[in-house]
Amino acid sequence: MKAVEVKGLIKRFGDFKALRGCSFNVDEGEVFGLIGPNGAGKTTTLRIIATLLRPTSGSVKVFGLDVEKRADEVRRMVSYLPEEAGAYRNLSGEEYLRFIASFYSEDVEAMVREGKRISGLRERLRDRIKTYSRGMVRRLLLARTLMTSPRLAILDEPTSGLDVIYAYEVRRLIKGYAEERGITILLSSHNMLEVEYLCDRVALIDGGVIIEEGSPGELREHYGAENLEEVFMEATGRG
Amino acid sequence: MANPLLTIVSKEVKELLRDPKILLGIIVMPLILFPAMGSAIGVSQRAVSRAVRRMAIAVYNEDGGLASQEIIEFLSKDNEIYIIEAENLEEALKRFMEAESSILLYIPEGYSERMASGERCMVRIYVHLRRLNMAETGKASSVEQLLMIYGEECSLRRIRRILKEAGEELQPEAVRRPISISYASILKGVVLDVPPGAIFGIIMSQNIMLPMMIMMMNIFAIQMAATSIALEKEQKTLETLMTLPIGKITILAGKLCGSILIAIAGAVSYMIGFSYYMRSTLGFIPQLTIETLSEAGLRLSPLGLTLLGAIIFLTLLLSLALSLSIAVFAEDVRSAQSLVGLIYIPIMMPSIILMFTDVDMLPNAMRWLMLIIPYTHTVIASKAIFLGRYTPVLVAVAYMLVFTVITLYITTRIFSTERIITARVRRWRIRGHEG
Repeated sequence: MKAVEVKGLIKRFGDFKALRGCSFNVDEGEVFGLIGPNGAGKTTTLRIIATLLRPTSGSVKVFGLDVEKRADEVRRMVSYLPEEAGAYRNLSGEEYLRFIASFYSEDVEAMVREGKRISGLRERLRDRIKTYSRGMVRRLLLARTLMTSPRLAILDEPTSGLDVIYAYEVRRLIKGYAEERGITILLSSHNMLEVEYLCDRVALIDGGVIIEEGSPGELREHYGAENLEEVFMEATGRG
Repeated sequence: MANPLLTIVSKEVKELLRDPKILLGIIVMPLILFPAMGSAIGVSQRAVSRAVRRMAIAVYNEDGGLASQEIIEFLSKDNEIYIIEAENLEEALKRFMEAESSILLYIPEGYSERMASGERCMVRIYVHLRRLNMAETGKASSVEQLLMIYGEECSLRRIRRILKEAGEELQPEAVRRPISISYASILKGVVLDVPPGAIFGIIMSQNIMLPMMIMMMNIFAIQMAATSIALEKEQKTLETLMTLPIGKITILAGKLCGSILIAIAGAVSYMIGFSYYMRSTLGFIPQLTIETLSEAGLRLSPLGLTLLGAIIFLTLLLSLALSLSIAVFAEDVRSAQSLVGLIYIPIMMPSIILMFTDVDMLPNAMRWLMLIIPYTHTVIASKAIFLGRYTPVLVAVAYMLVFTVITLYITTRIFSTERIITARVRRWRIRGHEG
């Protein structure tokens, strides 16, 4: 079964057309990257899959369920990490994990333990989130996204705004969790090196349409490029 | 799994109460500020009464006769008297203005002669308003009262002498005031040995306190709800919240309940602080009137209490729903609070107008305008409940219920659409997010 099926997806915001017939598939168990420059339509696509936005036309299915018609069921299978997500500043890290866990599991404490393990924040989890650095907040958010063991984790720019060390740690965390649990991960990034490191397959998006799709190796080979950055430039005619 | 509604409510209460601005501004400040203000006013009032108790009174006695000496002696029993020696009133006033005293009693020439011949005498009080404070006015009325008492004594003395000369055995007090009036009021069929002024005092206090309490509670609730939703946007937590496996209605209900709890805590704190302030300054609800309240049947019956609870609950729910519907369009707490300021107008207008009048006494156009505003019905109902008139209360409950259901429906529609994520106010224009 396909984890995600996107067909002819169009999304308008008033006169502005953010997606112009976007189509791609994500297989179950793979780490799939949606890559493109700012304003290409990555976030809009992920928000539609996460049931936050409704498509203007086209269809989006998650594990065979239509995201518009069966949004409640889709939300039970999906965990979404927005690009600019924050956490409740006046709660402690542990309280925040417990708050999220209580919507997913009977065994809240077991899920919180898992969240604590993924976050690696240890005793700092007892402190209020407002005392955390940006990197610590991102780790906490990633922990809450993955601790629920979703069938599909949607990560929008997971390392956005992080310094080299935190970004490295977060990438390692995602890769480790995907290998360990075999869950499907759909992520977006404009960092081509990150995508190359993390993803089994990628789709290049530009101007609201998918212009290329395949594994990083296949794409490099097809365009005779050294890395995905060069692939992107070639594929979009900017090279 | 834990109850999702309780989880959201608990998170809301924690988040709001741990925000120092909310904890201090809405719950702690009224408990500190009002008693502090009350104490400050109490201290100044005590200072005024001390100043009035033993006054320095300047006297310019142009008369110099026996009767004028008598009045000066009467005043000197409890006050300090300074006799001003001058050639004329103009000079006396000049000296008075240079002196410390702020009260001058002027006894004109011929006073004693007129008193002796049984004619009406005139004295004049000059008040030097140096500081324009309450003590100066208090002193003037105290001197006036002392002179009235002295006048009463003079009058009775004269009546006694006349009666003796006429050989009449009548009571001088009865001759002076042949009719003595005592008041009773009939309220809701009960005869009370209480002057109507006292009952009016109670009603007035309710007319002011109740709308004010409801108004404050609504404003707190609106602030809470606006802050609650705007915090989600400001902290970038709304998107995550909206993708959790819980219904949008549960999220909305959780926010409503959390805000109601904090608003009630804020209103209770406000009323405790405010009633302390009123007691310590104006003696707003003296013990006598509280006892009279019960005697007069103006205390709430169980049905009245239930209806009052229902109307306040509906009012709060309406305010919260309106606040959430408006605040979802704001990007941060500051813009949310300025946006929901629009709701303060229909809340404050009926509360303030109906403190002083009834809706029926307003001009036609104004009356209908007021009746369209749902908050008017809250004030009308809360007054009617105290008078035991339940029909207007039921009408108000029905109107509020319809209005609240419609508003809640609109709010749930807004929560169910993507506008909650995309809409934002930029310079008072609502736009969709583009990206």
